Amino acid sequence: MILIDQEKCTGCGDCLAYCSVGAIKVKNRKAGVDPHRCTDCYVCVRNKACPQDAMTPSSLEAFIDEFCHVISDPTVTTAETGVPGRGTEESKTNDVTGRVKKGEVGFAIDMGRPGVGCYLRDVEKVARAVCAAGLKLEPGHVSPIGKLMTNLETGEFLPGIGDKYFLSIIIEGKTPTSNMGGVIQALQRVEKEIDTVFSLGLVLRVDEEGRSAAIAELPKYGLPVPTRGKVNVGLGRPLVTD
Amino acid sequence: MTHTLHRQGEYQNEDYVWLMYQAKGINDTGIAEKARAFLAAAEAVGCSNWGDVKSGSILLYPVDYVKSRISNQSRLRGVLNAPEHVTEFLKQVKTADTGLSVVISGPLDYVLPACKAAGLTPHTINFSLGVWGKKELLPKQETLAVTTMCGHHMVAPGIVEKMAREVRAGRISAEEAGKKLAALCPCGIFNHVRAGKLVGEMATAAKAAARAARDGGATATPPTGCESCAGFEDGGGDSGSGAGAGEEE
Repeated sequence: MILIDQEKCTGCGDCLAYCSVGAIKVKNRKAGVDPHRCTDCYVCVRNKACPQDAMTPSSLEAFIDEFCHVISDPTVTTAETGVPGRGTEESKTNDVTGRVKKGEVGFAIDMGRPGVGCYLRDVEKVARAVCAAGLKLEPGHVSPIGKLMTNLETGEFLPGIGDKYFLSIIIEGKTPTSNMGGVIQALQRVEKEIDTVFSLGLVLRVDEEGRSAAIAELPKYGLPVPTRGKVNVGLGRPLVTD
Repeated sequence: MTHTLHRQGEYQNEDYVWLMYQAKGINDTGIAEKARAFLAAAEAVGCSNWGDVKSGSILLYPVDYVKSRISNQSRLRGVLNAPEHVTEFLKQVKTADTGLSVVISGPLDYVLPACKAAGLTPHTINFSLGVWGKKELLPKQETLAVTTMCGHHMVAPGIVEKMAREVRAGRISAEEAGKKLAALCPCGIFNHVRAGKLVGEMATAAKAAARAARDGGATATPPTGCESCAGFEDGGGDSGSGAGAGEEE
């Protein structure tokens, strides 16, 4: 977590605005950081939020604290995925990795986003729900969250980490398009049981016009046809065509 | 990583993100030279912001410094402000034939025709299905329109609202506020032009609300939300902006 030198702190509160999750409070004219809320994203330190230079990161000794920092700070690379921050290459390199093939749908469930943050207990709740609905999760060397799980088939997490708070973290997996509705319905149920938000992305192979039959199915589940997308334009080589 | 996908709010048709991506173990060699080809295309069409997450963006550091740090580990990405810029960028990148993956993130009604005009057919799309769960926890919509331009959460709601107060008070211009906010995003995907517009509108709306409250005889509250003040547990306030009643308009 971030430490604030109480001798230097003047209680001006300038640092508060930099924290996305409200981890910094001023009490008795001194700023302090909630150790249970700080995600070690280092936004405050990197941007010199304190005019007195009173903020410094503490050492991260526990695995889960270091993991949280790497996931929360995009200037740090996750060693195994080679991608900064929380995520993976997902759809961005699908033209060469072929991770999501024709007849499949990828789910990118961006927990805690936008601007809320999330406890791992809620992340596990969602992971278990989508696994039970048939989503096959990406392994830990592809998607960082896999390192927190003891069972990728069930979405079960390591014991004792449920109270850890993250800025955001992505649950990624895929399923046949024939099962897309089952996973969506599982998400519609579990969204009512969590104390946070998530942003949802569906990764699909598309035709030359950018269309997918699976997208046309969304209104059946009460969902609108999406208006935003991340379009992989197929320039990667060697090109995957299946 | 879906940090460009879920943008919200107005002026999305002036907001497109390009990403250059190598796949680990497949086409991840000779990246520095290929990255320079991407950059040449981006600069030729007028890319308003770009960066390399390992070194920072051109709104955080001098452009020559960011260029000098391009390496075989680089992952470049940037912002374009019009669909015709997307088309021209894609044409140039296609000609460069780097073999790296290219992604354009934005409103599909504009991105897909821009791809077609460049002679490209989409391979895969990550479609945004929006926000789910306990939405009452979200920041205000006008704030989210700005903060969602950095999907890594490096731009906090409190700093957006603080910038709006600074603009409202006449201490900085909306354009300067946009650039200050963009400097918080190390990737270079934050659209400072759009942010300036949005923050300017927040400031104007706040000013109008304060005027209406004053004219109506009520005591004006900080109309831009002042969420950062919530961190004061002992009745303090944001010392930097002087927001609220009596503030300079």
